[in-house]
Amino acid sequence: MRRLTQMAVASIATAALAFTVTGCGDDSGDGDSGKGGADKGAALAYDIGGRGDLSFNDAAAAGFDQAKKEFGWEGMEVEPNEGETDADKIQRLTDLAKKGYNPVIAVGFVYSKAVGEVSKKFPKTNFGIIDDPVEGKNIANLVFNEEQASYLAGVAAAKVTKSKTVGFIGGVETPLIKKFEAGYVQGVKDTDSSVKVEVKYLTQPPDFSGFADPAKGKSAAEGQLDAGADVIYHAAGGAGNGAIEAAATAGKWAIGVDSDQYNAPTLAKFKDKILASATKNATGAVYNLIKSVHDKKPQSGEQRYGLKGDGVGLTESNPAYTAMTDVVEAVNAAKAKIVSGEITVKTEP
Amino acid sequence: MKNAFKFDRERLLLGIAGPVLALAVAFALSVLVLVASGLDPIEPFQIMFSSLQEQDVQVLIVNQWATYYLAALAVAVGFRMNLFNIGVDGQYRLAAVLAAIVGVKVSAPGPLHILIIILTAIVVGSIWAGVAGVLKTARGVSEVVSTIMLNAIAGNLIAWMVLKDQFGEQAEGSNDLTTGLIDESGWFPGIKVSDFAGEIYGFVFIAAAVGVVYWYVLSRTRFGFDLRASGASESAAAASGVDAKRMVLVSMLISGAVAGLAGMPELLGGTHTYSSNFPVGVGFTGITIALLGRNNPIGVAFAALLIAFLDKASSQLNLEGYPAEIAKIMQGLIVLSVVISYEQVRRYGQRRQQHRVGEELAAQAKKNRKEVSA
Amino acid sequence: MHAIVGENGAGKSTLMKTLYGMHKPDEGTIAVDGETVDIAGPADAIARGIGMVHQHFMLADNLTVLENVTLGAEKLYGIGGRARKKIMEISAAYSLGVRPDVLVEDLGVADRQRVEILKVLYRGARTLILDEPTAVLVPQEVDALFHNLRELKSEGLTVIFISHKLGEVLSVADDITVIRRGTTVASVTPGEVTRKQLAELMVGSELPTPETRESTVTDQPMLQLEHLTLAEGGVSAPLAHTGAGGTTLPESATTETVAAGRKLLDDISFTIHKGEVLGIAGVEGNGQTELIDAIIGMHTPDSGTIRLDGTDVSSWPVRRRREAGLGYIPEDRHRHGILLDSPLWENRILGHVTEPPNSRGFRLDIKAARADTERIVEEYDVRTPGIDVTAASLSGGNQQKLIVGREMSHHPKLLIAAHPTRGVDVGAQAQIWDQIREARREGMAVLLISADLDELIGLSDTLRVIFGGKLVADADPATVTPEELGTAMTGAASGHLETPDDAPGAGADTEDGRR
Repeated sequence: MRRLTQMAVASIATAALAFTVTGCGDDSGDGDSGKGGADKGAALAYDIGGRGDLSFNDAAAAGFDQAKKEFGWEGMEVEPNEGETDADKIQRLTDLAKKGYNPVIAVGFVYSKAVGEVSKKFPKTNFGIIDDPVEGKNIANLVFNEEQASYLAGVAAAKVTKSKTVGFIGGVETPLIKKFEAGYVQGVKDTDSSVKVEVKYLTQPPDFSGFADPAKGKSAAEGQLDAGADVIYHAAGGAGNGAIEAAATAGKWAIGVDSDQYNAPTLAKFKDKILASATKNATGAVYNLIKSVHDKKPQSGEQRYGLKGDGVGLTESNPAYTAMTDVVEAVNAAKAKIVSGEITVKTEP
Repeated sequence: MKNAFKFDRERLLLGIAGPVLALAVAFALSVLVLVASGLDPIEPFQIMFSSLQEQDVQVLIVNQWATYYLAALAVAVGFRMNLFNIGVDGQYRLAAVLAAIVGVKVSAPGPLHILIIILTAIVVGSIWAGVAGVLKTARGVSEVVSTIMLNAIAGNLIAWMVLKDQFGEQAEGSNDLTTGLIDESGWFPGIKVSDFAGEIYGFVFIAAAVGVVYWYVLSRTRFGFDLRASGASESAAAASGVDAKRMVLVSMLISGAVAGLAGMPELLGGTHTYSSNFPVGVGFTGITIALLGRNNPIGVAFAALLIAFLDKASSQLNLEGYPAEIAKIMQGLIVLSVVISYEQVRRYGQRRQQHRVGEELAAQAKKNRKEVSA
Repeated sequence: MHAIVGENGAGKSTLMKTLYGMHKPDEGTIAVDGETVDIAGPADAIARGIGMVHQHFMLADNLTVLENVTLGAEKLYGIGGRARKKIMEISAAYSLGVRPDVLVEDLGVADRQRVEILKVLYRGARTLILDEPTAVLVPQEVDALFHNLRELKSEGLTVIFISHKLGEVLSVADDITVIRRGTTVASVTPGEVTRKQLAELMVGSELPTPETRESTVTDQPMLQLEHLTLAEGGVSAPLAHTGAGGTTLPESATTETVAAGRKLLDDISFTIHKGEVLGIAGVEGNGQTELIDAIIGMHTPDSGTIRLDGTDVSSWPVRRRREAGLGYIPEDRHRHGILLDSPLWENRILGHVTEPPNSRGFRLDIKAARADTERIVEEYDVRTPGIDVTAASLSGGNQQKLIVGREMSHHPKLLIAAHPTRGVDVGAQAQIWDQIREARREGMAVLLISADLDELIGLSDTLRVIFGGKLVADADPATVTPEELGTAMTGAASGHLETPDDAPGAGADTEDGRR
């Protein structure tokens, strides 16, 4: 009797589950609504961390904000949950497209599969994805030659080092960050093959704290300083702030990444020792895509941002850097060679 | 017999009272949080519940349920005998990545291919948990410590395995590493709901079946009795003839095997590959769910459904302009209230039962006295 | 000094808990110092000067006496010098002899009890409630306890104590209240009643005796122990110290206090024949626990063999031994005999999960197990409203009846009975004795370990005395007196105990390993 009841409860529960799904419930989407248009504006789907990560998501957000101001719509920003599946991302992008946002821009390769699938369901909506080559008629792939900027950082580092040892700190050992390492190491070696490069990654995926935890960046940098490094280049997002702090405190050079960290308010204390920053103009790329949709001439396919066209670059904000004319000259020469194609920068170490 | 029934029903009521009380408290606290942060305290709940009526959200919840349910059962097996398997997350991921690799390397006709992948996951999951089991039985190492460390080791092992030098693949121009796509013969067939909403993973039903097996083994077999006895009182179980070491090892192996299965709904039904995008933290959510469901297969099923719903609902909140964190805060509040309310209800139940026993005996005594005086 | 006596489940503990504020009365009033009070909880009770010493001690093993006493009462005298001074003061005033810096786990039962008493006095109690304080003590310790209690009384404190041992009650109490099934049936003074009358008041019927003189001993050996030896540190139970969180206490914490290599069991040999009850007398902690564990298979002895019914079972695991016909009534039923939070019918399965009626093949036969639980409840008079209540909601005596019923239901060849009637009322005691006698007549062998010397003498066919892990004396239950046994238990006598004045080995072994 008891057993029967328990079994019954169990099977009812299972059946109920199945029912909710198959039986009742209307479609949350009515397919391609087609009511998309510039009126609702763009939507931005962030990678883990979202707005406020002081790094990549923020750079994209800046482009979004610029467009928002200029075109006068509200737009929409959404963040992922930790531990979510591709299905969740698909659903998120679907919802954005269904609500009529155009373009829908996804930050990061984690959205690769989702953008590929959802773009087919909404052929009239334009999609953008940063750092990923997923193909589709209505997809714009915003990709960057980070290795080229890193190459310039390597040239600068090799020029200023006195101890003939420089450091590289990667946040998380992903193919993307390895591009930074590859360009940097090549830049150093091409300039002065006797300079030694210390390479350190803070974490392995799927542990992404290497992009977030400054304490990790700091201790890694201290290790490299102990090993004799006097220039440290980091590609570690927020964790890199710790690396900059360590280098600057020791009176050594740091090279920033993504945005112009010399002018970052949070790093103002160490700005004098921030030699330069290898930037990546995600802000501009996002803005350009939104503008192209607004102008009814939507981008599609690969939108490559390299040294050519200043999609990536090395900043010259620090007067101490511009004062070292030989360094600046060497960097500019290298830049010219890359733009002309004389030098091809490797994307893998 | 009549009495027995009465007590049983009371136990059921008390069993339900715990979660209901917890949810009510959590709801009230969430409203407070919303008010305190200057947001509409009611609309988020409306959004969350109205999202439930949408078919694609339903499909997402059900598919997520399968993963959560399996992960929580893996945790619950350990809990039932006082083993804290914190390593479900590592076991689940390691099992998923190796199952994916085997799935790519092997080609076989449909059902066999799927079976090979599933078996790989089960074996890998149980071996990884078994390491902690062996450490505990042979050296007395706490499984809490060893499984946490094994999680870290699994993470690095996976990072190494998906490198291109080993089993990884990197699409041209992509920044993602995967283990390559499993042949379609190794895809677990699902039930298509509609073009728009996608399909329910077939593995959802396997997960439900695992729940039934869990219930049967624990409450209807000798082994299950030994396991529960060990959890209730280690010393009493030892005196009753349970080999404590063997029990620790076996339950770790089972826990790991179920943890291995937890990755299968997603791998066989969704991604068909392991990439750095594969969900993490599932094992930890499993701990929450097992606690919430009190290690009871039906309770855990509902708890998994609730957490899956909150997960998906938080995305909906985000889309409506509310911070997604609201749903996260609610999850936290639920866990907190659960722990407190279960303890309260348990104490109340115990007091009440003792009271009842006393009453019953007093009534008997009165009757006896009357008989004597008559 | 007021004694409360009554059968198990009569409501003594409930009454005490009500006094101590752990339960709320449905009706009626409690008056303290003539003033009607409403006690909201233990804290309130303490504030009103009511303190309780529980049957199961509530001390943290890994803390010192000082820490245990101040725990939760830090506000009174702090936790440092002032607290120490106060403890020493109380200890001296009532000659409790408490040493504040010893770890509780190193203390014997009697010492722990004194710590409990001190704890209560430290909190300013004027009324002490003691729940079966003598159940765990040997005669000499009981005397010491009563001496302490008389000191308290002479200082003007009130002592309420619960006991089954009617002799003690009569000798120490000023007033006696007898309760039965939740009501007061008599209020008497020791001068008014005899022991027999008191017992009859309690049970409500004729008094049973443990005496049994018709011998059923056969010449077929059932349990043979040969040269069983177990040394300290050889205890092979690494999991025994792990709790729910899996924390393992360092082995050294438990071993550093005794001399390394001390023999817990020293060359123990004896034979129990079919139909024989072998009684082992001894002060707790002299190897009884280890002896039981070795026979049941929870500890592996360093050397020696154990034969059950002619078969060498030394290397068998616990379950196989139990399946082979080993019944076990454990000394600590909460630790080894029942699952407190499980219903009665599951407790009926415990220890016999592989045997009918509990299972068929790998499956449990829940229906049969439940039916059999109903039978046990009926036959062994377990007072419970049903078999779905948890074991924890039964009184101690009823839990014990369930355990005895369970073990006897499997017709063991050998029954290990450790304190089979501890905490059990007179009526149930007789019933348990009857059960043991009955089974003995049918050829069951019994290893009886008890602190109740009357029980040992009354029930056993042969008596041995264990001291410091050795069997130091034997005696004929027909002629020996409790006093003689008591002497041998403290190591003051050895060999064959013949007459009180003729103890040839007196004085031997006295310095050996005694705490």
